[in-house]
Amino acid sequence: MKTEHRCSGNDTEINSIVMSEDVRKESGRSGAFVVSAGKRKFQKFAKRVGESTLLLIASFVAIVVFFIFYFVAVDAVPYFQARGFAEFFTSTDWYPADEPGKFGALAIIYGSLMVTLGSTLLAVPMGVSAAICLSDILPFSVRQYAKPVIEMLAAIPSVAFGFFALVIFAPLLQTQGGPILMWAWWVLAAPFLLLAIIVISDLLTANIEDQSRRQLMSTTLLVVFGAAALGFLYWVGSVLRQIEIMSGTNALNVSIILSFMALPTIVSVSEDALQAVGRELREGSYALGSTRAETIVRTVLPAASSGILAAVILGVMRALGETMVVWMASGNSSHIPEPWFNYLEAVRTLTATIAGDMGEADQVTGSARYHVLFAMGLFLLVISFFSNLVSERIVVRQRKILSGQ
Amino acid sequence: MNLGTRKILDRSFSAVGIGSIAVMGIALLIVIVPIVHNGLGAVFFTETIEHRNMLYNEFGKGDKAELDKENAAAEAYRKEAYSLLARFETEMETMEPERQQEFRSKYGPVQTALRHLIGPLPGDEEAILTRYRYGQTRWEKAEEKLHELLYEAKWDYSDPNAMAKEYFVSRAAEFEGTSLVKLFPYVENNLDKMLRPRFTIYWGFLTDSSVDSHIFGGIWPEIQGTFFLAVGAMLFAFPLGVIAAIYFTEYARDGFFTSMLRSANSTLAGVPSIVFGLFGLAFFINTLKVSESKSVLAGSLTLAIMILPTIIRAAEEAILSVPKTYKEASLSLGSTKWNTIMTVILPAALPGILTGGVISLGRAAGETAPIIFTAAVSVGSAIGIADVLSSPTPALSWNIYNLASEHEAAAEIRHVQYGMVLALVSIVLLLNLSAILLRARISKKLKG
Repeated sequence: MKTEHRCSGNDTEINSIVMSEDVRKESGRSGAFVVSAGKRKFQKFAKRVGESTLLLIASFVAIVVFFIFYFVAVDAVPYFQARGFAEFFTSTDWYPADEPGKFGALAIIYGSLMVTLGSTLLAVPMGVSAAICLSDILPFSVRQYAKPVIEMLAAIPSVAFGFFALVIFAPLLQTQGGPILMWAWWVLAAPFLLLAIIVISDLLTANIEDQSRRQLMSTTLLVVFGAAALGFLYWVGSVLRQIEIMSGTNALNVSIILSFMALPTIVSVSEDALQAVGRELREGSYALGSTRAETIVRTVLPAASSGILAAVILGVMRALGETMVVWMASGNSSHIPEPWFNYLEAVRTLTATIAGDMGEADQVTGSARYHVLFAMGLFLLVISFFSNLVSERIVVRQRKILSGQ
Repeated sequence: MNLGTRKILDRSFSAVGIGSIAVMGIALLIVIVPIVHNGLGAVFFTETIEHRNMLYNEFGKGDKAELDKENAAAEAYRKEAYSLLARFETEMETMEPERQQEFRSKYGPVQTALRHLIGPLPGDEEAILTRYRYGQTRWEKAEEKLHELLYEAKWDYSDPNAMAKEYFVSRAAEFEGTSLVKLFPYVENNLDKMLRPRFTIYWGFLTDSSVDSHIFGGIWPEIQGTFFLAVGAMLFAFPLGVIAAIYFTEYARDGFFTSMLRSANSTLAGVPSIVFGLFGLAFFINTLKVSESKSVLAGSLTLAIMILPTIIRAAEEAILSVPKTYKEASLSLGSTKWNTIMTVILPAALPGILTGGVISLGRAAGETAPIIFTAAVSVGSAIGIADVLSSPTPALSWNIYNLASEHEAAAEIRHVQYGMVLALVSIVLLLNLSAILLRARISKKLKG
């Protein structure tokens, strides 16, 4: 009796054991076990076919990505052929319905950048501190309840956020805009100013040797700085209170809502990055006498910085690619705000323009108006492709570095 | 730095982190609570007799005999109002022309406001649009309309630097000295007798189709459309995704080709949703011509491509989390690789794969941008299962946008919009919740 063990690939698994003719059995289950040479050949063939089918299905994703690029580009190219690149990227005149139409998308690109930047500024500090809190501060039992909250925030459909922004938040901003801004300023700025004052007065008195004098000095400094900070808070607050918001559907509204939509992505990816930093680094830092905050800021965050950068890129992409919220609540007015940083004016974004103008564009004959929307889609697609590539490289590199240590 | 300061900094550092999570929780509440509260108002509300009439005439619901009795009781009180109107009209005839002209222009809005409140007046022609055949069907709306009848809204443009301010003028004062003055206190005091409000639970909101583009009726066509689109997307994406995940985890060897496939997967996950819509339009409809124009099929295919990366990732994770010993035991018993995958690994990974599937189903149900150009229409009745290949469908996500932003009477049908948002959000959140529970059970099981 001859038994043959075949090893395939990198595993040491037994694929088939071939036995001589006389012990050959013809039953379904043992077919894998004991087979003739002919059947073995067939099995080998079937395995090849099966594996290539699997491969084909797995490469479906790559084919789809290729198709998306191809078909969006095919409809975008006629626009650039007919009108060139200059008008699209440098002019702010967006009058697609005119004859001949004007297709200057600069203001629209600017609007996209503006709401993306605004939402990033809000979401990144909050997202990273929430991720730190989840990975290092909260005990496991609490974390179990915090995570579903974040997942639910991620699950709410974008059109529901858009509806909230349009129907609830925009009227609120319009009628109560000043007081809301003032309260937000107080709640956000007061604790940080207080902290800054404590740290500054502590640092300024650090050189004084005598303990009681030092105490006295730092208390006086605290009182002086505290009074100044209170005055500053009150002054800015009263300025903000005076602001009257003409229209609640503006860049600020959209930025706030988008930041909450980008938060879950930022939190979960940066939490993974923070978790990937091993215990050893943290324990080393604690052993040298650092507090938890110092450990995180000086040791863990630098080690996880590239992963957090990847999280930020993904969050930015989520905000840039979002359609429904900006379409419903950004005001859809294609001009660059005056002054350029005025978040209280209406803006228009790339995604909202695509969604809003396609209904009026002539889809059948393919007018310039139709193709310019594909040009915008291609622009978004290229940006998202490269951001994804960069963030992926960053994550892979960080994993390599951390595992190499 | 002082030790005390360092401690304070440490504490406040923790506080910032906890604060951020708290802000997210509060934001979730701020978004969810008004949606749930107002959304329930689409089903649980105080209806008027106009609503009962509408239900009987449009859907054949309700008891004819009782409705007639109620209508007669309401009519008794309405007659008094009608006779006040008639008396004023004859009074106007006797006025001198200038005064008559003035009152005539003021009288029109009063009639309109009364029509909005209690429906067509005697002598009106049968309205073509259903919305004009009934008065207010909801009591809280009727109270708003009562205010419009009693007061005329005017705008104050006196200060050119500030926004115009709205102020109200009593109509009773405008008709001072005429017989119409009596109408306003009469309607105010007897409105409940004219409209007979009663608390009701209108489950038909979920199962009825809409009447006169969502002015009345329910949202069944949208719920059904969302169901078709999401399930259709799953039919395409789920098998493909699971097979691709099997390939990635069990067969793929590290190399350029595999890493390229993985890159493609994450690229696909990052494509903005509106670009999927463009692709669906350019490829499925304009190139492949899967249907004449928009259709459920084209929408499902577009959504399927969108959710594919999520399914692949979830399935991959689920397969990888199956303990290696399972696989080794199966192989050592002489099973082939494929047999092992089908009989050992997949059953063990199934709950995890299903979790990913359920989450993707929710995502497909909630997305709007990919179906704008490929599947969604604003108005339409529910389509049969046979029509999914060729006809477009209304869907919850698209109609929320449409009713809130483009409907001609968007402010009048807030309750329908809220009801739709609540329906969509609860579908998605219930799916996610079941996924979370499923996952908790798996992790418990894997822990032993």
